[in-house]
Amino acid sequence: MSAVASPAGQAASGARARTLNRIVIYGLLALFAIFYLMPLFVMLVTSFKTMDEIQNGNMLSLPHAPTFAPWIKAWSEVCSGLTCVGMKGYFWNSIKMVLPAVLISTLLGALNGYVLTKWRFRGHTLVFAMMLFACFIPFQSVLLPMATILGSLGRFGVTLQNATGFNFGLGNSTVNLVFVHVVYGLGFTTLFFRNYYEAFPTELVKAAQVDGASFFQIFRRIMLPNSLPIIVVTVIYQFTNIWNDFLFASAYAGSGDVMPMTVALNNVVNTSTGVVEYNVNMAAAMIAALPTLIVYVVAGRYFVRGLMAGAVKG
Amino acid sequence: MAFLEIDGLKKRFGNVEILKGINVELEKGGFLVLVGPSGCGKSTLLNTIAGLEQITEGEIRVDGRAINDLHPSKRDIAMVFQSYALYPNMTVAGNIAFGMEMRGVPAAERQAAIDKVAKILQIGHLLNRKPSQLSGGQRQRVAMGRALVRDPKLFLFDEPLSNLDAKLRVDMRIEIKRLHATTGTTIVYVTHDQIEAMTLATKIAVMRDGEVQQFGTPAEIYNNPTNIFVADFMGSPAMNLIPAKIDANGSGLSVVLDREARQPIVLPMSGAPSGLAAFKDKPVIFGVRPEALTDPEGAERNASNIATADCHIEVVEPAGSDTFAVTNLGGKGVVARLRADANIQPGTSTPLAFNLSKAVFFDPATEKRIL
Repeated sequence: MSAVASPAGQAASGARARTLNRIVIYGLLALFAIFYLMPLFVMLVTSFKTMDEIQNGNMLSLPHAPTFAPWIKAWSEVCSGLTCVGMKGYFWNSIKMVLPAVLISTLLGALNGYVLTKWRFRGHTLVFAMMLFACFIPFQSVLLPMATILGSLGRFGVTLQNATGFNFGLGNSTVNLVFVHVVYGLGFTTLFFRNYYEAFPTELVKAAQVDGASFFQIFRRIMLPNSLPIIVVTVIYQFTNIWNDFLFASAYAGSGDVMPMTVALNNVVNTSTGVVEYNVNMAAAMIAALPTLIVYVVAGRYFVRGLMAGAVKG
Repeated sequence: MAFLEIDGLKKRFGNVEILKGINVELEKGGFLVLVGPSGCGKSTLLNTIAGLEQITEGEIRVDGRAINDLHPSKRDIAMVFQSYALYPNMTVAGNIAFGMEMRGVPAAERQAAIDKVAKILQIGHLLNRKPSQLSGGQRQRVAMGRALVRDPKLFLFDEPLSNLDAKLRVDMRIEIKRLHATTGTTIVYVTHDQIEAMTLATKIAVMRDGEVQQFGTPAEIYNNPTNIFVADFMGSPAMNLIPAKIDANGSGLSVVLDREARQPIVLPMSGAPSGLAAFKDKPVIFGVRPEALTDPEGAERNASNIATADCHIEVVEPAGSDTFAVTNLGGKGVVARLRADANIQPGTSTPLAFNLSKAVFFDPATEKRIL
């Protein structure tokens, strides 16, 4: 641009530069979006194709004759190792593990956050720092100690079984996994809730105290109903993490009919009985990924709603 | 025996003493205002009465019963918080009834109590709304309703008006005063606003650094401040505190006020108490409120001791109801309060009348009152 350009010329070239910027930005964004969506697209289309079409056709082309057969097979017939009963049992295994683990870890995190901010005791910063530390411990380093602890719990369960006729779930693989995920998730959930409650007006707690509410009444009636945004954040975080966990699941429930979804999927894909059924594998993987997707779609909306409610609270 | 008695109350956080031996008492139906600058311990004192803070030493008695070891809910008190502290997840009715609900009051009784309070505070149409749908003044009313519904022995207010805009604050102040007059409740009220303190209180405790500087009726505090801090803190515009000297000339004592590049002003103190004589030829702080320093026509007719002196006016501030004139005495800006229509120009010399019967003197070394 020359030094004597007219103001109008400058404005026009400025507008051109802005348009160019937009094109570059949106172009790049679109490129990345395609890049990330590509695998999902391939999985989806493949899961609706027949084996013939997969072997002879293009990986990216849409299915000529869409079929649900791979999905049905993945759900109820596919072989994981030597048992051929589909993914459905393992799917429920995962559900049975995830729901209590998310619920308990979220509730305990909320309780911890409440105590660490509103009922401060001597050394509360130290306790919080140590809980934070739990967030930075790598999964792998706790595998062996945790196995020892779970083993002891199992033996204690046997003792209880002999003494009372009921083992209180100790030694059960699902219970073990719930326990592991609650312990491991507690650092994160406590961090979330502590930071949220740190900004929560303490005067509300004082007012409730003057009103005669007890420790748990304040928690249940005042704190929890006003924590929707952080509850949703915690649930999304915990649900995704626990559902997708493979390491703990394979270490503590890696075989038999107690496997969670992730381990079962791995076994399905690794089971070789002649031809690799890509369409069934893809359908199984989609089934494994579906719940986290649903949680995002459903809870994400509540998340935004919760944020809005907080904004107008004043 | 007073209704509320606070006896030698001390509060320590570790080695830091926040409240250093508070002694205050209040008769039944009284209105005690704790006033002072931020960090003086007034809110902490209120929280100890509420039971939200534990005390280190001393005793708090309500109606002859020591309450300092009781849980807040057992003290028969109600509190209005600075932020109103309305539960955002409950309706107005739910907020008002929450305390009763926690005490297990039957639903029908709760409803009757809500209706009664809603009528007093005129918030009947708001009962089903959430706090987020209310204006500042309405929230304030609901917060008072929540306190009122309990019919407690003692009401505690923690700076309840500081979140409101100026006009609403005046309205709500009157409302609180009316409420106090009609319900006859005993109130302890914390504020940093000395006008709220003066207008509402039957007793004021002026606090600084965890100590009560002066405790008395508003008139006592205003007219007879015990030290420079109280004199300076209470009143708006603040009391003029002028460095001066006591001079003995023949018959009696007089106050000498130095001026820049002018003859000092000498004000004769006829009939001055003997206490002042001890400060002959020594520096003192001469305190005179702006309304006791005025134009000669506007001066109080039957004041016993009025002295007039020519003063050089530096600034004139017409405030509508009054006109304030600023002059310079003893090296400090001194505010005089004149009639609204006083004919006065900046940069001229005008006679001002000092109402010496209203003047007070302080020892600059101890900051205590001489007389």
